[in-house]
Amino acid sequence: MIELLGIEEKTYTLNLGPQHPSTHGVLRVLLEMDGEFITKAEPVIGYGHRGHEHMAENRNYMQFLPNLGRVDYLHALAYNHAYCMAVEKLLGLTVPERAEFIRVMTNELNRITSHLLWFGAYLMDLGAFTPFLYCFDDREQILDLLDRITGSRLTYCYYRFGGVPTDIDDDFVAGCRAFVKRLRGRWRDYDNLVTKNVIFINRARGVGLITRDQCVKYGITGPNLRGSGIPYDIRKSEPYSAYPLFDFEIPTGSRGDIYDRYLVRLAEMEQSLRIIEQACDKLPGGPIMAEKVPKRVKPAAGEVYQAVETARGEFGIYIVSQGDVNPYRIKLRTPSFANMSLFPELAVDTLVADLVAILGSIDVVIPEIDR
Amino acid sequence: MLKDNLQQALASLNLEVAEGDYAKTGYHLEVAAQPAQMPEVAQAMLGAGCFLESFTAVDLNESFDLVYHFASFEELCRTAVHVPLGKKKGMPTISHIYPGADWYEREVFDLFGIHFFDHPNLKRLLLPEDADFHPLLKDFGASQGND
Repeated sequence: MIELLGIEEKTYTLNLGPQHPSTHGVLRVLLEMDGEFITKAEPVIGYGHRGHEHMAENRNYMQFLPNLGRVDYLHALAYNHAYCMAVEKLLGLTVPERAEFIRVMTNELNRITSHLLWFGAYLMDLGAFTPFLYCFDDREQILDLLDRITGSRLTYCYYRFGGVPTDIDDDFVAGCRAFVKRLRGRWRDYDNLVTKNVIFINRARGVGLITRDQCVKYGITGPNLRGSGIPYDIRKSEPYSAYPLFDFEIPTGSRGDIYDRYLVRLAEMEQSLRIIEQACDKLPGGPIMAEKVPKRVKPAAGEVYQAVETARGEFGIYIVSQGDVNPYRIKLRTPSFANMSLFPELAVDTLVADLVAILGSIDVVIPEIDR
Repeated sequence: MLKDNLQQALASLNLEVAEGDYAKTGYHLEVAAQPAQMPEVAQAMLGAGCFLESFTAVDLNESFDLVYHFASFEELCRTAVHVPLGKKKGMPTISHIYPGADWYEREVFDLFGIHFFDHPNLKRLLLPEDADFHPLLKDFGASQGND
């Protein structure tokens, strides 16, 4: 090694974002660099802070419902679901079975759209443009299906306290079956294009390792956790809605690197297809709305915590009621918030090019962190 | 199993531990603790393999109620720890035990103005650095009307 006499070693600060294509929203990361290597990374968040928790306190339960679809716009229905279940617990409502089935089906379709978007956008981060076109083509089919019954394509507000407002029809079920078949036919293309792609494998293997210890200390959930080999999925470990009625597996990784997280997300889409398929077969008849849903939602004093599994991990909603028509306090525990707080640890001693790869692999949705 | 272990570990810290009504609240255990006991509680929870699920505060006008939720990857058992805190009082940090608590505590500081002792980096998280208000306090202007 050449000794550079009289030359001072200095670190410098590099600013990434807030407007940067690979931060998927408005995220700023302050990097302290030693040459090409990162010595410290500090995420600066809050650019998308809209004050949802504050809004919850000055409007009534029903009026707050549309806000939920805007917290995580990629898996809006899971957020609808958690909130509706929490309020149903406060009110003591029982949701009819058909409504639970519809909720599960639409939720899983929405989960696939989220994973497909991640798949395309992430590979684009890494410089591969083609997969993006493939998965947006597939994602479009789901958006059309959901559009027919919910009336929207992204920020869904479809569930209601006690059930769902509009029923699904035979066309929707047929559309679901056709989509399951279509996407299954695509796996081979995805595998050939990406999973077996040696450029991608070399880029993703052994990079961005998340350990089990980190998962416990930071509360990491979702595919990031399962990629590290911990089979924790709230749909199984704390069963809710109609999920116990379906047969599906929890895909896990073993090493906890980017490639494992990629495989987990891909395998999860197949499991979601299995759930949708079974739901189409077993779809029961009957009402879609509970009887005696109060027009004016005014739960008794109390508190409730409800968790659901979203595409990014555990979303928990904590509601404190003081017997008023407005919630007294609502806390939204979002998965990306916890997942992102681990990021400074993952970024240390990596290259800037890897930083982008790691950031994308933990699949953060910035408005969901900022709320 | 985990529930029994936790009950034992927490009872040895002289805490009130009650069975939660899971069907209604989603809790298996409910614990009441004093602010100074919180680092011990966090240590006990980490020892049992639990992760910090969420942490937030509720402004009860005269005082705060700080709520910690813990859960486990191994077994279904959610523990809610309620800590009453007087206004203008500080709270010991648990971010040295659970590094994930770092951001949660910064968020509570940001939105409620609660100070956390020995926190390594206690500054605003979601609001701009120069904000001079704490919006989730009940006497914050905008919460009064439906504006």
